[in-house]
Amino acid sequence: MTTTFERIKKLFLENVDFPVERLHPEATIESIGLDSLDKIEFLFALEKEFDIKIPDREVKLDSIQDMISVIERLVAEQYAKQEQSV
Amino acid sequence: MGLISPVGNSCEEFFSNLVAGRSGIKRMSSDFVGRLSVNIAAEAYFNAEAYFPKKAARTLDRVSQFAIVAAAQAWLDADMQLAGDEKKRAGVYLGTGMGGARSLEESYVQLFKQNVKRLHPLTIVMVMNNAAASYISMAYAMKGPCLTFSTACSSSAVAIGEAFRLIKHGYADVMLAGGTESLLTYGIFMSWESIGTLALEADDPSTSCRPFSKDRTGFVLGEGAAILVLESLERAKKRGARIYGEVVGYGSTADADHITKPSVEGQANAIAAALEEAGISADKIDYINAHGTATVVNDIAETRAIKEIFGQRAYHVPISSTKSMHGHLLGAAGAVELVAAVLALKYQTAPPTANLTIPDPECDLDYVPGKARTGLNLKTVMSNSFAFGGTNAVLIVKKHE
Repeated sequence: MTTTFERIKKLFLENVDFPVERLHPEATIESIGLDSLDKIEFLFALEKEFDIKIPDREVKLDSIQDMISVIERLVAEQYAKQEQSV
Repeated sequence: MGLISPVGNSCEEFFSNLVAGRSGIKRMSSDFVGRLSVNIAAEAYFNAEAYFPKKAARTLDRVSQFAIVAAAQAWLDADMQLAGDEKKRAGVYLGTGMGGARSLEESYVQLFKQNVKRLHPLTIVMVMNNAAASYISMAYAMKGPCLTFSTACSSSAVAIGEAFRLIKHGYADVMLAGGTESLLTYGIFMSWESIGTLALEADDPSTSCRPFSKDRTGFVLGEGAAILVLESLERAKKRGARIYGEVVGYGSTADADHITKPSVEGQANAIAAALEEAGISADKIDYINAHGTATVVNDIAETRAIKEIFGQRAYHVPISSTKSMHGHLLGAAGAVELVAAVLALKYQTAPPTANLTIPDPECDLDYVPGKARTGLNLKTVMSNSFAFGGTNAVLIVKKHE
């Protein structure tokens, strides 16, 4: 199964010209050169890829690892909701 | 000078196609072809990915992409460099009718038809009218005035005229000025279709736009951008720049009459004002690039306005409407057509008015029908731009000697 990190990586490379070897879970958003506007745009792409809605505020997203955690939590919540409604 | 147009993506290619009478008007390639009553356009052949990295290709509206590429060509062509403090006295003036309307339309389709939960976070930045000018100021660190003019079809002529005055009156030394437009979208086509100014498709689509011809039926929508480097004469001379021409006059007037119907008086006033600023009489104008939209009313009004100011001289000045080939670039039209006029000076050649085959008694001037005229002795040229809303702009450029 493709890991969340691999999916993020794939999406990242589709959207931005960036050396792949510098992309690892510990990398901070700042260190990979995304400014605040780039970050918002990337979150938008993540929402589409994972079919989730990332809350506008109150979420810590400073590193790739943060993104992985948030996405996995939201995907799990979404899945649980669907299970309930079935 | 730099340019993206339906008849070429460089100034030289553009002008040689105009002189050869080659039209960029054809059946559209868009997916909405067939849903319109007229399916022709003058599209620019422009692949963003050939010019931009992924992110820029995705997050710039096509209208900004055109302008950025045209500006880069102009910058290179002028061999321009700005040192330290010079950047504060350098700016960008662009014209556009509807800026990033394409991105707005696409976002509305997603919102209203596809019910998306969120729109692209850069939607505002892609749509705003001043995006193109701002990206250009960023690219060249031009820190003086950066403004966007929107006066429909005269937008870019206004931008160039205002930039000229900024330099003339000492507020700037270098300006990138011109215009950009990219409105070949379904919604925009439907809007133009309703107001009834678009040309009907001819048997040979490339001949659909027929300015000053008795059988004219309107204009063909086009897209593109043109940007010129304007520089104070002193600075240009000092650095030994190649000077295409000297902007000497600009006339800006309002019809103050009707929102769409052109006014002979308003247009004549603009021509007179440009001549006055240039300090020359109409006798000195050797070529006119007409607004020449090929609507019934424009071509008659413009002919009358020229006659009013030029008198008998009107019959002896070559006038052409290059819209017959590159279509109507709306907010970019004035800049694209000024480039045509300046290149007419450079090559001493008046491009033709294509498809003028049936004379109209109400349009009885010398419109250079069908075939370019070479070997001329042009010293001063004029470009007319008139607009919905009634904002007229006329520019005069003199050969630098």
